Amino acid sequence: MRAGPSRADIANELMTVPEPTTEDLQERAEIDRSTRYPIMFFFTSAAAWLLVTTILGFLSSLKLRLPGLWDECAFVTYGRLFPMHLNSLVYGWAMQAGMGVLLWMIARLSRNRLRHPVAIIVMGHVWNAGLTIAILAIWFGYGTSIPLLDFPVWIWPILMISYILIVAGVIPMFRARGNPRVYISEKFIIGAVLWFPWIFATAALLIHKGTAPTVGAGIGAWYISNLIYFWMAPLALAIAYYIVPKIAGRPIYSYSLATASFWVLVVLAGWSGFSRYMGGPLPAWMTAVSSTAAILILLAIFATVVNLFLTLRGCSKLWEYSPSLRFTVFGMLLLLVYAVLNAATSTYQFGGDLQFTHFLAGKDILAFYGFFSMTVFGAIYFIVPRVTGAEWPSGARIRTHFWFSTYGIITIIVTMLVGGIAQGGNLAEWDQAFSVSFVNSSAYVVGRTVAWALIIYSNGVFLVQLAQMYLGKGRKSEGPTLIHAEPGAAPSARAAAGLS
Amino acid sequence: MNSKQPTQLIVGIAIAFAVPWILLVLVPYIQHSNLEPIPYEEDVEGGYQEYPERAFYRVGSSDYGREIYAAEGCAYCHTQMIRPTYAGPDMWRPGWGGRDQETARETRPRDYVLEDVALLGYQRIGQDLSNVGHRITTPELMHKHLSDPKSIDPNSGMPAYLHLYRESPYEEGKLIPTSRAEALVDYLLSLKKDQPLPARKS
Repeated sequence: MRAGPSRADIANELMTVPEPTTEDLQERAEIDRSTRYPIMFFFTSAAAWLLVTTILGFLSSLKLRLPGLWDECAFVTYGRLFPMHLNSLVYGWAMQAGMGVLLWMIARLSRNRLRHPVAIIVMGHVWNAGLTIAILAIWFGYGTSIPLLDFPVWIWPILMISYILIVAGVIPMFRARGNPRVYISEKFIIGAVLWFPWIFATAALLIHKGTAPTVGAGIGAWYISNLIYFWMAPLALAIAYYIVPKIAGRPIYSYSLATASFWVLVVLAGWSGFSRYMGGPLPAWMTAVSSTAAILILLAIFATVVNLFLTLRGCSKLWEYSPSLRFTVFGMLLLLVYAVLNAATSTYQFGGDLQFTHFLAGKDILAFYGFFSMTVFGAIYFIVPRVTGAEWPSGARIRTHFWFSTYGIITIIVTMLVGGIAQGGNLAEWDQAFSVSFVNSSAYVVGRTVAWALIIYSNGVFLVQLAQMYLGKGRKSEGPTLIHAEPGAAPSARAAAGLS
Repeated sequence: MNSKQPTQLIVGIAIAFAVPWILLVLVPYIQHSNLEPIPYEEDVEGGYQEYPERAFYRVGSSDYGREIYAAEGCAYCHTQMIRPTYAGPDMWRPGWGGRDQETARETRPRDYVLEDVALLGYQRIGQDLSNVGHRITTPELMHKHLSDPKSIDPNSGMPAYLHLYRESPYEEGKLIPTSRAEALVDYLLSLKKDQPLPARKS
C-alpha cells in the first residue's frame, strides 16, 4: 500500500479551486517579496537585450535587402549581424526572461521563499557578461558559423555554469515544497531546468570535439530543435497551465490530458531536429526518425491547446480585459502554428523545396520570438505587479505593445513563409539563373524589415513600462491594470468581464 | 503524498531523454568519428590512392581560410550540402554537384574530412559552395567575386567584402588582398566535394 492519497484523490483535489485564506495571501506576498530583486533583474536585462536583438533583426533584414549598404565596414555585414541577432534573441532575451519566470513560478508553486537572491543576481550578471563577450566576439570576427553556438569555444562554460547556479535552488525547492500537490506546471519547469544543461553541454562538447564533422552539424540542428521543444515549449506550457486557470478562475479542463501531453513531449522531443539537414551527408534513418518525432509531437501540442481552450470555454470576454491571458493565449496559438509547420516541413513532400529558404528561417523566428516571447510577455504582465506591489502604469500602452507585437510578428512570419515558398520555387527550377531566387524574394525582405521596425516600437513601449515598475513608479491601486477598463475600476479581469 | 514522487519524476524525465540521447546522438557520433579512408582498387583520374585524399581537399592556407569563412558568417547564406535527387534538384544545377554532370554526386560524410564541423549552412541566399572550386578556378576570379560581386552578376545579392582588401598606395582604385582574403580564397578554391567514390562502398 502506498502512503498518502491516490492519484485519483489528487486529481479530484486539483479540480477544485479553494478560496485563499488571509494566511495564504500573506504567505504568497512574502514569497513574492523574496523573489523581487532577482526576478526584476532578469526581466529588465532581458527586455534590454530584446531591444538590442530587435534592432539587430531590423539591421540584418535591411542589409539583406540592400547588401551594398556601407560595404566598406566589416561591422555591418549580414554574416555578422544575423548571428548576433539570433544569439542575443535566444540567450539574451528568451532564456533570461524564461529564467525569471521559472524562478518565480517554482517559488509560488512549491510555496517556498527564493533563497540566496544575491547569489542569483551575481550569477545573472555573470551570464550577462559572458553573453556580452559572446556577442562582441561575433561582431569582431571570432564567430564560428554554428547557429546558436556562434561564440568562441571558451564562452559556453561561462553560460553553462552561471545557468546551473541560477537554477540550482529549483530542485531543492521542489523537493521541500510546502504543498503536497505536484502541479503540471512544476513538472514542465523541472524538465526545462534539467534539459538545458544536458543538451547544451552535449552539443558544445561533441561539436567542438570535431571528430565527426557531419554528425556534428546534425547535432547543431538537434540542439536548436531541443532548445525549442525541451526548454521553450515546456516553459511556455508551464506558464499557460498556470495563467489560464488562474485568470479564468477554474481548474484545468482535464488534468490527466495535461499529464499525458507532458509525457508525450518528454518521450518524443529528444528525437527531433535532424530533419533540418534531410538529404544531407547524414544517415537517412536519422532524419527520418526526426521527422517522425516532429509529426508525433503534434499530439502533445494539439492536446494542450484543446485542453486550454476547453478550460476557457465561456470566458472569451476575458480576452478583452486581461493582458496576461491575451498574450498567453496568442502565444499558444503560435505554438500550434509552429508545431504544424515544423511537422509539415520535416517531410520531403513539403519540406524538400523549402529547405534552406526564408521559410525555415521564419519558422525559427516563429519559435524564438513568436510563441515563446508572447507567452513570456503574458507571464511578465502577471508576475511584475505581484513582486513589485504596484500595478502597470497604463492599460493603453499594454494594448499598444500587444497590437504592435502581434502585427509585427504576423508580418514577419507571413512574409518569411510566403517569401520562402517563392524562393524555394525558384531554387527548384535548376535551369534558371540562381540570382532569380534572390531578386524574387527580396520584396518579402522589405516586409520583414518594416515588421522589425514595428516590433522595435512595441518593445520600446514595453521596456519603458517595465523600467517604471522596476524603479517603483508603478500605479498604487487595489485593482489590476486591465486593457479595456478604467485603471483600478475592477478587482480582477473576471469581475470586469462580468463573470463573477 | 508520497515523498518519492519528485525522485520518480526526475528519473522518468532522465530515462525518457537518455534513450534518444544515446541512440540518436552518441552512437552515430562515435560511429562517424575519424572515418577510415577507403583505398581505391581501380585506377582513378588524378592518381589518387584513397578516398578521401587529404591533398584533394587542401589548397595553400585553406585551413586558416575556413576560420575566416566561419567568422564572416558565410555559412548563414551559403550551404555546403548537395542533396540526392529524391530530396531536391541540387545536382542538376550546372556546376553544383561536381566538375561536370558526369562526376556530379551528392555530398557524403567523408567529403568533410578536413573540417571540425561541417558548415552545412543555414539558408541558401547565395549559391551552394560544395564545389565552388570547380566553378571558379583562378585566385584572380575568386578575388573579383569577393571584392566586386556585382561585376560578375548584376543581380547578385552578395555584399562586396571590401574590408578584406585595402587600396593600393601606388595605383588608384586597385585593391590589394589582405592575408585574410588570400586565405579565404584558398579555402574557396579548395572546395571540391566530388572526389570519385571507390567501387567498394563504405
